[in-house]
Amino acid sequence: MSTGRLLLEKRLVVSCGAGGVGKTTVSAALALAAARAGRRVLVVTIDPSRRLAETLGVDRGPPEPVLLPPDRLLALGVTPPGSLSAWMLDPQRVSDNVVRSFSKTPADAARLLDNPIYRNVSAMVAGMQEYTAVEALHGFLQDDHYDLVILDTPPSRDALRFLDAPQRVGGFLDRRIFGLFVPGEGGVIRRAATALIGRVMDAAFGEETRQDLQQFLALFGTLLGNLNRNQAEVQAFLKTPQVGFMLVTGPAREALDEAFHFAERSRALGLPVAGYVLNRSLATRAHLPLPEAPAGASEALRTAVAHLLPMAEAEKATAWTHAALGERLRERGTTWVLPQLPRGASDLEALLQLAHVLAPST
Amino acid sequence: MPFSSRRIHLLTGKGGVGRTTVTAALARATAHQGRRVLLLEIGDPDEGASPLARLFGREHLPIEPTALEPGLFGARLWAPVGHEGFLKAHLPGGALISAALRSKALARFLVAAPSFHEMGLFYHLLMLLEAKPAWDQVILDMPATGHALALTGLPEVLLRLIPRGPIAKAMRRGQAYMNDPTQADAWVVALPEQLPVTEAIELMAGLRATGMTVGGVLLNRMPADPFNATEQVELAGFMAGRAVHGEVAWGRLVDARIAAARLRAEEADLPILTLPEVPAEPDHALVGPLCEVLA
Repeated sequence: MSTGRLLLEKRLVVSCGAGGVGKTTVSAALALAAARAGRRVLVVTIDPSRRLAETLGVDRGPPEPVLLPPDRLLALGVTPPGSLSAWMLDPQRVSDNVVRSFSKTPADAARLLDNPIYRNVSAMVAGMQEYTAVEALHGFLQDDHYDLVILDTPPSRDALRFLDAPQRVGGFLDRRIFGLFVPGEGGVIRRAATALIGRVMDAAFGEETRQDLQQFLALFGTLLGNLNRNQAEVQAFLKTPQVGFMLVTGPAREALDEAFHFAERSRALGLPVAGYVLNRSLATRAHLPLPEAPAGASEALRTAVAHLLPMAEAEKATAWTHAALGERLRERGTTWVLPQLPRGASDLEALLQLAHVLAPST
Repeated sequence: MPFSSRRIHLLTGKGGVGRTTVTAALARATAHQGRRVLLLEIGDPDEGASPLARLFGREHLPIEPTALEPGLFGARLWAPVGHEGFLKAHLPGGALISAALRSKALARFLVAAPSFHEMGLFYHLLMLLEAKPAWDQVILDMPATGHALALTGLPEVLLRLIPRGPIAKAMRRGQAYMNDPTQADAWVVALPEQLPVTEAIELMAGLRATGMTVGGVLLNRMPADPFNATEQVELAGFMAGRAVHGEVAWGRLVDARIAAARLRAEEADLPILTLPEVPAEPDHALVGPLCEVLA
């Protein structure tokens, strides 16, 4: 599939990859390319650099997705009906919205929002970030403001967790487990287990914290039906052809290993892999000349060029290695190769250049 | 070696900066000085082989400290070990302890309940810090930025929730180690580039906010700079707008100079060590050369 078709036909693109490969920038560039092709795109980032967050207008942690202003969109070559919005995941906010919309009564919602365990839950429950990302995704996929959602995930060791976070967090939120902690339910064996956990908790925490925890679990438990239904819907949707997983990698061995590991896992889980993005490749530079001091150059310049020459030769070799690497990736699946951009390019220029490579304007 | 003064080093830094390799090199360099070193990682064996263990030719680091090389021991922090240790130390009476340790329901609950996983990791760390005979040096490879703050900030979060009781006491004890500037510090591994340096500066602010002492910065993969001042000026003019091989390397060099200078200006009192770029494939071949630099 060409990126053109990918960006025109998918409802959701998930980018995954090791830390430091430029995944967030690639996600933003994909979003921009799709918006330039006339789609209404939302890019959801998890941990963007401050500079990229500023470029996307989400540096102040906005509550809702932010539509890039018309003048900026125009500068980026996005014209109606195309549009580009961005949002930075805020687990606590997503979670608060869930509490407000799914609690049985407003009083229950208020008690839960006020519970000290709940107030720290996103910092404390491993996987809560991913769980809320899925919940937010559920909302955005229902929202007819967007034709395409692009989701940037945490670095890939964690991205795998993103895929099973619903099971893991769901496991904790599973009534069969935390129900053990809420007294007065079930038969003899269950009560015995509950009593044991209660004694252990009192010994470890003290009574006050145990009560907070019990209140939290009892109230949060009432939200579970709705929450888990949303999670299951998104998980099922992730396996449909409307979704594409992009495996972003750099030329370094570790990043490639992560991408291959991820591809394997995705296939085993039945997730549609759209292809690889090889970022920061020097391949397009392979045919450049080596530097040569001009006739009549100063002594200093001639020395400098002489010092530069071995660096240039190494760079040439790297460029050819990257070219070969691109070919090897193509044997494994659809591959898009993005160039290493010149230092000092602003994020806006960088996004434009990458968007051009991903979907050349016709 | 600017590392030897404190017993506990946390190594942290964003993904892709080579933190794990630097951590392994530091551990080896410390062991070569004749100290008994414990190298720790936080890793979930379900997530595939551990990058740190791979540097020592293993799939995973074991839970029990195990010799990796002479004087260098490795172990993985593992929440259930911390849970068990805590229960043994704090539950009243042997009957309750053995009932608790036998209970599958409790085990499931501990794995799943909020923050118990992190608490378990933290308590396991505390057990190793207090183990006899004491380790001369404990070096912890901290996973990506957000988690590092989560773990160093954990005692504070938990103490807000649980101000009293045995867990609170254990958290305070752990916090006392981590926040004692004579015992523990955090080193930030970063690349000599603009954005990573900005992120390193933000990370240090975050660490200090949790009460950690920042020991210093390790600027990894510093490109070799063969040019004197005059040559730099001449070459800058020559390279402007020229599409040749060497352009990327030159750009990196300029960027590295600016980034390192900015870091030195902002953190004037902090040790900033640079580690050279060493071409090595595969990655574990890097540990040796970096170890020599750190020694």
